[in-house]
Amino acid sequence: MFPTSSQRKHWMFKNEDELQTLRVQANQNYIESYQDRLGPSAQPTLNAEDEKTLLKYYEHTMMRDLCKKFQPPMPKAVIGTAFNYFKRFYLNNSVMDYHPKEILVTCVYLACKVEEFNVSITQFVSNIKGDQKKAADIIINNELLLMQQLNYHLTVHNPFRPIEGFLVDIKVRSRLANAEKLRSGIDELIEKLYLTDACLLYSPSQIALAAILHSASKNQENLDSYVTQTLLGGDPTRLTDLIEAVRKIRIMSKPSDVFQPNRDLIKALEKKLDACRNEENNPDSQIYKERMNELLEDPDERPSARKFAKARRSMGGDKMTGVSAIDPNLSP
Amino acid sequence: MEDQVCPRCRTTKYRNPSLKLMVNVCGHSLCESCVDLLFLKGSGSCPECNVPLRRSNFRVQLFEDPVVEKEVDIRKRVLKDYNKKEEDFTTLEEFNDYLEEIEEIIFNLTNGINTIETNKRIDQYKKENRDTIMKNKMKVGRTEIELEELLEIEKQMDEVRKMDQLREEVETKRKKMKIKEAMIDELMFSQGDAKDIVNTFQSNLEEEMKEQEKIPDRTTQFSTGIKFGKGSSEFAPYFKIEEGPLFTYTPPEFVYEGPDPPKWNHLRPYLMHVRQTTIDETAGGFDAAIGCLRALQEACAGLYFKNT
Repeated sequence: MFPTSSQRKHWMFKNEDELQTLRVQANQNYIESYQDRLGPSAQPTLNAEDEKTLLKYYEHTMMRDLCKKFQPPMPKAVIGTAFNYFKRFYLNNSVMDYHPKEILVTCVYLACKVEEFNVSITQFVSNIKGDQKKAADIIINNELLLMQQLNYHLTVHNPFRPIEGFLVDIKVRSRLANAEKLRSGIDELIEKLYLTDACLLYSPSQIALAAILHSASKNQENLDSYVTQTLLGGDPTRLTDLIEAVRKIRIMSKPSDVFQPNRDLIKALEKKLDACRNEENNPDSQIYKERMNELLEDPDERPSARKFAKARRSMGGDKMTGVSAIDPNLSP
Repeated sequence: MEDQVCPRCRTTKYRNPSLKLMVNVCGHSLCESCVDLLFLKGSGSCPECNVPLRRSNFRVQLFEDPVVEKEVDIRKRVLKDYNKKEEDFTTLEEFNDYLEEIEEIIFNLTNGINTIETNKRIDQYKKENRDTIMKNKMKVGRTEIELEELLEIEKQMDEVRKMDQLREEVETKRKKMKIKEAMIDELMFSQGDAKDIVNTFQSNLEEEMKEQEKIPDRTTQFSTGIKFGKGSSEFAPYFKIEEGPLFTYTPPEFVYEGPDPPKWNHLRPYLMHVRQTTIDETAGGFDAAIGCLRALQEACAGLYFKNT
């Protein structure tokens, strides 16, 4: 249940300002470490606003396309969960540290697993254009990192089941004649909300109710008496908050109506990103390849090193055992 | 042993130290080279009793008297079928009679008395007791496996012990050397009486030896490698079940952070609007009410959510 979930406890935020602060912080952290590392040879970096534009672009084009064209077709819950992971990940990480192209496929892959949509890695990468073996490597290498960054809070409460619940309830307790016709309007709003931060600010049932009310008003139906009288039992204090939440969610969805990625701007940003990204996390870079080779050779050729790592682990010195194998320099 | 001689070519152990006597089911021995010569084609007959033999059945003679070998062979063959155990009989007397019968058969076959009749007897026994024979064969297989395991463990323990011993020896040698060096150093540089120094070192050494003797390895098994107190291996290991306090069920308390969803007993009108369970799903224990209630609960959960 949502009220007792890790989502409610750790991944719900007060307002957009709080999200913005976190993102700016992540951006700043990266820039500082980047400039420390490279000194004068550092390239110009992206700012938080650039990152936001890029993320939105990747969500809007790549991630949505991947989910929609996925074969076999994936359930909605997988898509919702994947978007949720993606947003959570970039709250605390910079785009320049981990390229969104890599993280987004990993998010979708992990969401498939968590939502029990069974696809093998080969089946999964057959949906990706380009070098599929490399894609599989990237996904598998990033999977543990992603889980760690999500703090292993993998269960995501999506608005889809609440929507079903509301629809059944509306059929039973309201005078609405044909509740099923609301569905297309609901799906439309939910799709738009994928591209917003709604899932980090409002509970899934609030989002579900907003979608239903949005669809009802589009269909020129009135569910006001259902919400005020039946659902809330005429409790005015609760009503104002709920209506406010619904209103804000609906407002949030508006800008994505007109979201038109500015191709030139995106191209420029991507170019900049390629220059200033963290080479240690770039699978095409020499550093990354060297490190991966080292990790692969480790177990056989340097048993003493492994023993040492084991001893260190047993002493409790190494906190992130699972992920340390991927990125020893990673800051939690 | 000195007059081990091949009955055919008369070679003795003295003349050919590598002489190896072989024996087959009939109980007549032949030396290895004679076997090679006579059974070139793989089969042939015994030069003494003309019994047809196969070359693959020849094996090295372990006992001096080839008749014993023959008996061992026959015993092996007979016991394959006569494999009843004491548990298969109601009284001890019956079991003893059965053992007697086995011995008689073996004796008859070994000494060639009533061979045809005895073989008939075996065949009849086989026919009558086919089921029990099969069952006991399985059992025998299991006990053999257990025995092999025991042997394996014993072997391992032996190795470990050997390694320990070796290490200990090296250790004591090193220690002795050290002490000796220390003593010589002492003798070279100290002003004391040489005799006293030698004496103190000697007594120190003796004390240490005594101490070491005091702590022998605690033996945890018999010389055969069977662990103390392991008991008969025929029983499955017995685990003691520790019983904690009994479980008392308390119904889970849901925090909805929203309006209360309907209860189980009010679900009837809702169930009209959800897909009914198919027979297959009912067989799996699924009920439409479960999914329906869950959706309703989730719709209500978190509706009043407000993060402050």
